[in-house]
Amino acid sequence: MNQPILTLQGVSKEFQSKDRTFTALKNVTLSVEKGQYLAITGKSGSGKSTLLNMISGIDYPTNGSILVNGLDIRQLSESKLAKWRGQNIGIVFQFFQLIPTLTIRENILLAMEFVDVIADADRENRVNELLSRVGIAEQANKMPSALSGGEQQRAAIARALANNPEIIVADEPTGNLDSKTADSVNDIFSALALSGKTVIVVTHEKNTALKYHRIVNLKDGEIEL
Amino acid sequence: MNIKLRKTINDLLISPKRTSLVVFALVLGIWGLGTVFVSNFVLSNDLNANYQSTTPVHVILHSSKFEGMDLQKFIDRQEVETAELRDFSLQRIEIYPNEWIPLWLYGVDNFNEMKLARIFPETGKRTPDAGTILMERDCKHVTAIDTGDSPRVRIGSRMTALKVSGICFDPAQAPATQDAFIYAYTDKKSYGQITGLPTNQRLIVRLKNVHSADDVKRVSDMLVKDLNINGINISSVEIPKFNEHPHQWQLNTLLFLVGTIGLLAFIMGAVLVSQLMRSVMASQVRQIGILKAIGGSRFQVFQIYIAMLLLMGFGAGIIAVPLSVATGNAFSHFVAWKLNFNILTSIIPASVYAILLGASLLLPVLLSLSILMKGTAISVKEALGDYGISQGKTPREFKMLKRLPVSKIFILALKNSLRNSRRLAVTILAMALGVAIFSTGFNVRQSLWNLLSNVKSEMRYDVQVVLSRQVSREEALRPFEALKNVKLIQVWNGGRGEIQSRLLSTNKGAGIVALPGNSELLKLKMIKGTWLASSTETEIVMNQQAWDIYRQPAIGSQVVLTIEDKDITARLVGISEQFEKAKIYMDLDRYDALFNPAHLVNSIMLVAKENSYEAVIELKKNIENAIVPTDFQVLYVMSQAERVKIIYDHLNIILMTIVFLSFLVLVVSAIGMASATGINIMERTREIGVMRSIGANPKKIYSLFVKEGMITSILSILLGLLLSWPLSKLAAIFFGNLMLGREAVLQYAFSPTGFVVTVVVTILFGWLASRIPAKSAIDIPTHEALSYE
Repeated sequence: MNQPILTLQGVSKEFQSKDRTFTALKNVTLSVEKGQYLAITGKSGSGKSTLLNMISGIDYPTNGSILVNGLDIRQLSESKLAKWRGQNIGIVFQFFQLIPTLTIRENILLAMEFVDVIADADRENRVNELLSRVGIAEQANKMPSALSGGEQQRAAIARALANNPEIIVADEPTGNLDSKTADSVNDIFSALALSGKTVIVVTHEKNTALKYHRIVNLKDGEIEL
Repeated sequence: MNIKLRKTINDLLISPKRTSLVVFALVLGIWGLGTVFVSNFVLSNDLNANYQSTTPVHVILHSSKFEGMDLQKFIDRQEVETAELRDFSLQRIEIYPNEWIPLWLYGVDNFNEMKLARIFPETGKRTPDAGTILMERDCKHVTAIDTGDSPRVRIGSRMTALKVSGICFDPAQAPATQDAFIYAYTDKKSYGQITGLPTNQRLIVRLKNVHSADDVKRVSDMLVKDLNINGINISSVEIPKFNEHPHQWQLNTLLFLVGTIGLLAFIMGAVLVSQLMRSVMASQVRQIGILKAIGGSRFQVFQIYIAMLLLMGFGAGIIAVPLSVATGNAFSHFVAWKLNFNILTSIIPASVYAILLGASLLLPVLLSLSILMKGTAISVKEALGDYGISQGKTPREFKMLKRLPVSKIFILALKNSLRNSRRLAVTILAMALGVAIFSTGFNVRQSLWNLLSNVKSEMRYDVQVVLSRQVSREEALRPFEALKNVKLIQVWNGGRGEIQSRLLSTNKGAGIVALPGNSELLKLKMIKGTWLASSTETEIVMNQQAWDIYRQPAIGSQVVLTIEDKDITARLVGISEQFEKAKIYMDLDRYDALFNPAHLVNSIMLVAKENSYEAVIELKKNIENAIVPTDFQVLYVMSQAERVKIIYDHLNIILMTIVFLSFLVLVVSAIGMASATGINIMERTREIGVMRSIGANPKKIYSLFVKEGMITSILSILLGLLLSWPLSKLAAIFFGNLMLGREAVLQYAFSPTGFVVTVVVTILFGWLASRIPAKSAIDIPTHEALSYE
């Protein structure tokens, strides 16, 4: 058995509102191995996105610990966390979230510039390589608005891979795509997992869940066993 | 290119209209401030440098005994740096046929060795030929006389033609033409021959080791004492303002006022930039989240937005800095021309450019820093959880409004206006300041108009003839009795202006005006008490300036006046409000009984039957002709119409500048409002989509946004007009000092024209500032508006 790349131990998350406390995650314990293709499923409000936010360091748990490659990410400052995230976690959003005022090439280069782990001289080649990998090499110099939804999501995946992170997290990456385009995007994630990346995808599509190495179903903030 | 920089540029270009608007506002702001900075740099240096280049005089001594003094021995004294005999007298010169003004004539000891109070040759002879004069260049503003001409000069009762052999420059003098006279210089021998006056009567002195007016006074007292002991009786001592050009205060006030307006324009430009940044940060919340999610640290994200500000500042600076230098130089030349000095600064140092560019870059950044800090501090989760731009606070309920007969659109517009109360406050305040300054410009103009009207209505004579040597009443009246277009002639002692104060004044320098107590030719506005009434008791009326000199005695109190070394006690019966030097009015008969047993007079006041400007000027010419055969020693002949015109011409140029600058501030604030309205609309793009989808037609949406803009405009106008009241009062004081002299009083006045113009222009600007963004709002297709984040 491979070493776990990601370990969540007793993670809980509570949200305070004026008159009540809402518990989004309840004592979640989860271990993810390197190269695993994991789906987090569940109904709306089950805590899927909250769990993904914990894994990617976007949010902190109220209780429990999260170790990524043995590192407790709660120990990192906001600034260090941003750099760590850029280097270790590639995030793919449902609505692509490309920077609308930059070309696809520039969107990817920006991620490299922020983290600065890819040498300057190698960046252009890497952009070309990543765009070829996701099948949109010819769209490199176009603005996001000139691309279809599927192409934008491929571009977002290429950006997530910019700094060669070990973990890719995707929050309903096909939720905004037609089924044919969604399949092609899922194929990219499968290929990434095959190449050794750990891919964690939040999805509510039960049928696509069959493609994953492992499925974690959340219900009312708890992992359904 | 660096990708972060590319993003910054692209973000600016995504809304070119908004970016251009902000850069334009910033250009106006930097231009205003830069102009003031450059002109301040040039003027504050050059006026003083001009003045100091003359080696100014510290003290002027008058005596009829200097002839017998060993001047070199006096100069060798340890307190004295240098000294020179330079005579002076007041004559008259004909500037155009039958138009005469005072001539300040100086007799110079040696033109080639002027050690102090130096003058500089400009054209023609450096040293005037015997019997000729050099004229000071400021004369060019009032006459066409030039080198080679021989204008007529009236010396006492004699008429002579004096050839002008050159034009010179005397930067230490107050600009002569502001008071309509001319300075001229001749050699000492010629001075004696021309004037028939004794020479060597006036000693100008520069002292060593003096650092203040008090030092000068102390040393002068000592010198006078020593000279008196040695038999050289000093009849009077004049101490000019210490080491300062006579009009330095005027320049300082002007720079202060223009500086204030420039600074306000700049602040408004900068506030506009910070508003834009607030809107940019609000519209980019999600992007900031993405940037952080893909690895951008807060500092890296911060850099993107700082670069945005720096780029706008740089863009504005590139346009505004050369513009500032050009207008600053132009303004400096204008002021130099008005105050009669040379601009010596030919090259603006690189440090000035650097400071201006630095200010263009840094000040918008500083003003927006807190917005950037706050905007970039947002966490990824908060940023990604943001559903588009803030929708603002929930509009409050206005139950009262529901009862008012106003449309629902108006109520909605009012509620919407209050959704972002902070932005509303900033917008209203900025616009209100613009309104206040614009309105103040008009009010000050009105104050001056009122002042001029008062001068006209208070002084009911049309022409005044002032003699430097008194004559009998009969003699004074005789030449003018046969003149046409004369309704009334009255004779006085003393009169308006500084020159007359020199002829007849108290030992404290307040000019005496002795006139028939029941004269209809002078109707001053009384602040306290009454006009002269009793012919048996010595009564006086003081104007405010004289009242201040005498430490504001109570009405009815007895005041001791020393006139011509004689002390009298007079009862103060009234205080008048007047644009004038310090003056004390008393009944002519009482004055004659006390000081003037021969009943001599020096002022002849004439009232025209027909008093149009042309008719009065014609009368003045006839008066000049009537004077020619007399032996009157005329100081000046001045018509009220000319005096008022001279004052108005001087004031109007400056006032137009002020109104223009105020307008500039109003434009900047209107741009600010347009920007704020644009931001409001942009933030509510999705709301526009929702309104459209539930049936609101573009006309209603347009009307809603225009109403919101108009509500802001009207609130700004109300606040602005309220603010303009204290501002106008302060400005009236400043402008009174600036344009009319340190002691002049300028009363606050409300300008109805200004009020209407301000309201109309502001409403028009407000309408445009609302209409343009509102129009763009209704052009967005519904589906785009609904998907706007």
